[in-house]
Amino acid sequence: MTDVATVSRARAGDPDAFRLLVERHSQPIFRVAYRMTGNEHDADDVVQETFLRAYRQIDKFEERANFGTWVHRIAVNCALDLLRSRGRLDRHYGGDPEEAEMSGAASSDPQQDRLLLSAELREQVAAAMERLSGNERTAFVLRHFEGMPVEEIGKTLGIRVNAAKHTIFRAVRKLRQSLEPFVRSSACNI
Amino acid sequence: MHHYHDDESPAAIAQHLQSCDVCRAEYNSIRRVLALVDELPVPERGEGYGEQVWNRLRWRLGSESRRRRTWQTALAAAAVLAVAFFAGQLWNAKNAAQRPSAVLSPTGQQRAAVAHEGAQDRVLLVVVTDHLDSSERMLLQVANADASRGLDLSNEHDRAEELVASNRIYRQTATQRGDERLAMVLSDLEPVLIEIAHVEGKLSPDEAAALQKRIDSKGLLFKVRVISAQTSGQETPAIPQKGITSL
Repeated sequence: MTDVATVSRARAGDPDAFRLLVERHSQPIFRVAYRMTGNEHDADDVVQETFLRAYRQIDKFEERANFGTWVHRIAVNCALDLLRSRGRLDRHYGGDPEEAEMSGAASSDPQQDRLLLSAELREQVAAAMERLSGNERTAFVLRHFEGMPVEEIGKTLGIRVNAAKHTIFRAVRKLRQSLEPFVRSSACNI
Repeated sequence: MHHYHDDESPAAIAQHLQSCDVCRAEYNSIRRVLALVDELPVPERGEGYGEQVWNRLRWRLGSESRRRRTWQTALAAAAVLAVAFFAGQLWNAKNAAQRPSAVLSPTGQQRAAVAHEGAQDRVLLVVVTDHLDSSERMLLQVANADASRGLDLSNEHDRAEELVASNRIYRQTATQRGDERLAMVLSDLEPVLIEIAHVEGKLSPDEAAALQKRIDSKGLLFKVRVISAQTSGQETPAIPQKGITSL
């Protein structure tokens, strides 16, 4: 059964239809929630809250629209609310990425680079993401992973388009500062 | 922003990147960093994840839908009352207009006021008849059950919650209208309905017997029947002998 038909039945009060929607869309919602919150438990909470809100608002859903996109947007708002409630939206993590680099979070020693295991590299990427502010992380995730247009990101975060662009730009610059040492060894292969 | 095609002149930038080694190196470095970010793992959730989400969610959705239904019932009860009273006012105004005011003596005006209140009381009684009938059926079901085998009220939970919501509205209205007799019966009825609404699953034999005793000791069924009969203009039922009669 397509999402359109399932949503129609769910709106008529069929709980099995809503169950189908939950089962179909839980995985992608978890992915975006995890990328935004960086925490498994928080992501699970966001998934729950997302479908609860979707259930409450399903009468407002326009049947011509895409349910996946709609519920995705709800998930983004739920994750933002969670970050806000914990004061994480405007907070920076781990201080200045340049300091982190200087303190050895990212080694510039080629010998060490070669010894770096992929698991450690993933940890470095996760740490680099953690160093972004909540707004930067959200804007970056929405643009990079979700492909959301900058205008939409601005609306979601309640900022102007230029500010949204600048937030994404800052996020990319910080990631580059944190992670460039790990890609430096292959930089000569341009 | 060129990487995301968010720049204002992508063609010009692409052309520049072809001719400028420094910028091309910078751009490639950014691309490699972003490719690294793509490797950021997302914890795996198994195939049964959607089902797990649903199992946790359905309890919350159940209480949501019950709450929504209860509110809808309360609103519907309030709306019915509002319409009924408005109709009562119209009926009374029409009757008053048909009587020449000059003819009305002070005693006549008092009689008209009493008639007006009586009309509104009748309207209130009429709109609660269905509610009393439904409540009576529920009480009978509990009272007539074989308590020694326990009592499964899981199917009555939603209906009991709806009756509680309606009962509150009707009780408050009866109190405001000064109909103490109806208000008192509804006040006696309400805690029993709440108790039934709060039952999750099956009552043990002791619990079922206690609930039956509560209904019996208050003479609740008889009171509900009397007021229901008066409302619908039937004869007042005879005082029952010990035990409960069926529908």
